[in-house]
Amino acid sequence: MDNLFLTSVLIFVACCIPTLVCLVGIDLVGRPLVISAIIGAILGDLKTGIMCGATIELIWLGVFAIGASNPPDMLSGAVIGTAYVIISKAPIESAVILAVPVAALVKLINEVRWTVINVLIGSKADKYAALGDRKKVELMHWFSLSWGVFLRPVIIAVAIYFGIPWIEQVVASIPGWLSDGLMYATGIIPAIGFAMIARMILTKQTALFLFLGFILAAFFNLSIIGIAGLGCVIVAYLIFNKNQKEAVIDDNEF
Amino acid sequence: MTTNSKLDKKEFWRLYWRSCALDHSWNYERQQNIAYSFILASAVDKIYQDDEEKRIAALQRGLDFMAITPQISPLLIGINVAMDEENAQNDIFDESLIQSVKTSLMGPLAGIGDSLIPGTLRIIAAGMGISFSLAGSILGPVIFLLVFNVPSYFIRYYSLKFGYQLGTDFIKSMAKTNIMDTVSYCASIVGLMVVGGMVYQQIWLDLPIMVGSGDFAQPLVSYFDQIAPGLIQLALFGIMYYLLGRKFKTTRILFAVLGICIGLTFLSTLF
Repeated sequence: MDNLFLTSVLIFVACCIPTLVCLVGIDLVGRPLVISAIIGAILGDLKTGIMCGATIELIWLGVFAIGASNPPDMLSGAVIGTAYVIISKAPIESAVILAVPVAALVKLINEVRWTVINVLIGSKADKYAALGDRKKVELMHWFSLSWGVFLRPVIIAVAIYFGIPWIEQVVASIPGWLSDGLMYATGIIPAIGFAMIARMILTKQTALFLFLGFILAAFFNLSIIGIAGLGCVIVAYLIFNKNQKEAVIDDNEF
Repeated sequence: MTTNSKLDKKEFWRLYWRSCALDHSWNYERQQNIAYSFILASAVDKIYQDDEEKRIAALQRGLDFMAITPQISPLLIGINVAMDEENAQNDIFDESLIQSVKTSLMGPLAGIGDSLIPGTLRIIAAGMGISFSLAGSILGPVIFLLVFNVPSYFIRYYSLKFGYQLGTDFIKSMAKTNIMDTVSYCASIVGLMVVGGMVYQQIWLDLPIMVGSGDFAQPLVSYFDQIAPGLIQLALFGIMYYLLGRKFKTTRILFAVLGICIGLTFLSTLF
């Protein structure tokens, strides 16, 4: 089991990366699309890792933190789902079997940090601010952040070390209809994510562009990059036309 | 415009880098307040070095409720610093103005920012990344990170710069130029086109139902495709869009889909 121990340590390190690189402005490393690829590289199957990442990312595409509503913990879901698929050579869709419940579970642990620990740290910061102690105010942020860096990686690494052998047995007993049903679900669930995004950014004026994108893909087989490129052209056209019309009255510095 | 600005290059970049950590000490009580006070702390120390009372007040102000999109936050930070500088120099400056500007701006900025950055830019990046990743290409995660983070870098930089330069004038010039409306309109065009494309490419339902008999049997799905490609995808998207409009919780829809799919597959094994 030496091998599993080393793997768990490497996965621990990998799970610390997203928070750390975010501090220098590189965001989204903790999204399934990226972290699953990193896990794939650690476990020696980069390609499967990348494909698991895409499958899990599609499930949670519409999900992100807005205001006080926090999403499931995608980092732990993606890592454990991917690790399971690679280690037990399961089909890629089955990454979702583990990812969804794990993410919901680890979110509960995050909630403890957000409702209790960070609130207490905040009231400490209030005290130091009243005393004018700037260094201590800054320290409170670092203190809270260091919890954030290590808490989930520890949970994930422990889960990998103790859980994988046990999970393999459980999953081996999963009947075919369950994994088949799950496969169909993974095809449908992305629709929820797309609908969430559309609900957020769609207006009466822009709704037709959603259909334009759909038609370009369905009838012209254009790739997403092609569609995004065409979108940029349309936007540029609109801006140039607008500027020409407004050139006479336009007096701002932008 | 602020004259006599005390914000040197080093302090500018410190604000910039610190703003990246906005979400890392999040809490339910006042959300991003710990991080926000951390971002401003060093600048506040410098701005109010001659006035202890105002310095403490500024440190405490930083710990007020804060909720804003991290990538847009430098705009508010810039405005905040500019107003703090004015407050330090000007004795008749009304301190409560800083608080009220902060509170009144964060809502609209978070609204625009959330639909622009995680709502649109991330979707465009994910759409490109996923199409490579599904084929197992390393370009997937790489493109995803680049398409999201390179624009984010510029958005952070220019919003900090504009916010600081314009200070309180910012609100007036925002209203005059409605630049934010134009930006979010343009971004949503590209975003929605990408979403539309992904509706066709990423949603699938290969029903194992055959229609016809013998050699003429064809899967049901291909009949739909003959009418118009992507009809099933569009219908599934439409259903979800409708359900979300009816205020169904997303997790509930997700578990309902899982339940229905697994349930139906189970039933089909019985026959």
